[in-house]
Amino acid sequence: MAGTGTAHLRESDDVLVRVENMVVEFPISGGTVHAVSGISFDLVEGETLGIVGESGCGKSTTARATIQLPKPTSGSVHFHGDDITTLSGDRLRKVRPQLQMIFQDPISSLNPRRTVREIIGEGLKVWGENDSWSLDTIDLLMESVGIDPRYGERKPHQFSGGQCQRISIARALVLDPKVIICDEPVSALDVSVQAQILNLLEDMKARYGVSLMFISHDLSVVKNISDRVMVMYMGKTCEVAGADDLFDRPTHHYTRALMAAIPGADVNVDEQVLEGELPSAIDPPSGCRFNTRCPAATDECRTDEPQLREVALGHFVACHHPVTS
Amino acid sequence: MTETMLRVNDLVVDFSTPSGNLRAVDGVSLELSEGETFAIVGESGSGKSVFARTLIDLLAGNGSRSGSIEVGGRNIDELTRSERKHFFGVEVAMVFQDPMTSLNPVKRIDAQLTEAMRYHLDMSKSEAKDRAIWLLKQVHIPSPEKRLRQYPHELSGGMRQRVVIAMALACEPRLLIADEPTTALDVTVQKSILDLLDELRVDRKMSMILITHDLGVARGRADRIGVMYAGRMMEVGATEALFSDMRHPYTQALLDSIPNPAMPSHSRLKPIPGRPPNLLDPPKGCAFAARCRHARYDCLEEAPPLDGPDGPEGHRWACFHPVGTPEGEAALAANLQDGETATGLPMNEVGELV
Repeated sequence: MAGTGTAHLRESDDVLVRVENMVVEFPISGGTVHAVSGISFDLVEGETLGIVGESGCGKSTTARATIQLPKPTSGSVHFHGDDITTLSGDRLRKVRPQLQMIFQDPISSLNPRRTVREIIGEGLKVWGENDSWSLDTIDLLMESVGIDPRYGERKPHQFSGGQCQRISIARALVLDPKVIICDEPVSALDVSVQAQILNLLEDMKARYGVSLMFISHDLSVVKNISDRVMVMYMGKTCEVAGADDLFDRPTHHYTRALMAAIPGADVNVDEQVLEGELPSAIDPPSGCRFNTRCPAATDECRTDEPQLREVALGHFVACHHPVTS
Repeated sequence: MTETMLRVNDLVVDFSTPSGNLRAVDGVSLELSEGETFAIVGESGSGKSVFARTLIDLLAGNGSRSGSIEVGGRNIDELTRSERKHFFGVEVAMVFQDPMTSLNPVKRIDAQLTEAMRYHLDMSKSEAKDRAIWLLKQVHIPSPEKRLRQYPHELSGGMRQRVVIAMALACEPRLLIADEPTTALDVTVQKSILDLLDELRVDRKMSMILITHDLGVARGRADRIGVMYAGRMMEVGATEALFSDMRHPYTQALLDSIPNPAMPSHSRLKPIPGRPPNLLDPPKGCAFAARCRHARYDCLEEAPPLDGPDGPEGHRWACFHPVGTPEGEAALAANLQDGETATGLPMNEVGELV
């Protein structure tokens, strides 16, 4: 990697989202935080794209900048063929209902003073669809996410964490979106509940025809839910591949180190644990950003940034010395 | 024969709350040898953290305890006041879950790290500082002299957890209780912290209780595992025996609900239906019966005792119809025939809960 490039983007009619060379930077006193530095990816209809990486790698920022919260510093985000980074005001607002989000903490992401029905129906109200027909929509949605509509007048604190996450999913679905961004949606849940929510997301995806961008630091979870996975490190892309392919043949040294760290799993990856700390995002390393911690780093890696290239069908890696066996 | 480091006998912890009495730990017994790692696995609310805190005498004001706790052969209830002062934090130490909140944000690392040594070991300022530097080296923190002058916010999460571990080790504890020590950390950092704990445990012949919600972590690190649910120990055994001959339906269900990286993507997960029982109003029989595939009518009558063929030393489980036994198979077959379990959980034709 941790590099750039657009070789992995697909030319197909059903590409829903296409992000090219997205850069997100935050000015701070004494410098700039390079949160995302030239990320490209695409999402086709009905697909789940998993994004993995350690804290601070820019995965959440990438997802948020995709829905223009905040707008990226540079780069383009095409949604249904239109570059939404150029839209503003009313035109951007019209796109927003189609891009929804589910957050990590199910309890704090719901307004504690509203009833569940108000929370789920808020979007309909904002979009002026507050009639009796939409009341049925809410009940139907509550049923489909597994919350009894009789509890519609209850408030979030009367529900468990898993149930609150179901309510968040219903809220995201109410405006019939095309894309839902799930930012660590199961990280705060117990494993038994985590499985319920992951199954529910799969069901909802099939039932309502949405595409998902699924962010998680948990590789097993990402593998389970994703069609395609993008591995990120310090605002760059390391590897992009189909979920099964990535796990069967991890090619980037960083991906391999992540897999070797999964506790108790029978993943047979012979890679050492990462030494050292994540470098500063204010002054990232030159060349490949992973070079300071990579066991295979050479001088080339310190000067030249690797570009994403295809090492197997649909499997892309940004590394000068990938592990291909 | 190695010495028994910790002996807990029939520990019960109750909290009096405005809504009534809550039994967080319900009759847990445990023996731990010197140098052994025992992992306690459970979900939120299983009582695993309360159990851990009770061992180091950190029970909240509304809590009360019964049952005995012996550490290194000493019953903690028989310690005098002054002995207690230099017992908890010295003989027994604890590493807490969240390194962001378990350090004082407005004190430098050196002040926090040397405080316990100066108090417990009666060291001078410079002795304590030298030892602090040595301890930071032990937990693999580079340039310890520089780190000592920094504040917690200047350190990464992994570094902070290393400092917390160094603090716990400062007085050479014989028993270390690690309560979800890596839950707030990335997997790569998690691995290095668990490696560090392992290394220190072996070097110092320390015993360790590792509290975790992650069966994977427990499997990779523990000699023995205890699975807790609703304040009770559901299954206890040597790590290998527990995984190869899993007996309790809860342990099985917990394992089945985790996405397995060896399975292809989009494999359907098997969640555990329902929720843990309300401990303010616990069920009469087995606490897991309401969510269990094996639940029969006897499960509703009384709670099964924790027992096994090899007695208290061996693999034990608290279940009338254990997985992989004729009793378990019979219960499953009977539930299959009824189309539901004794608690009314519907079942499909292949014996899965629906």
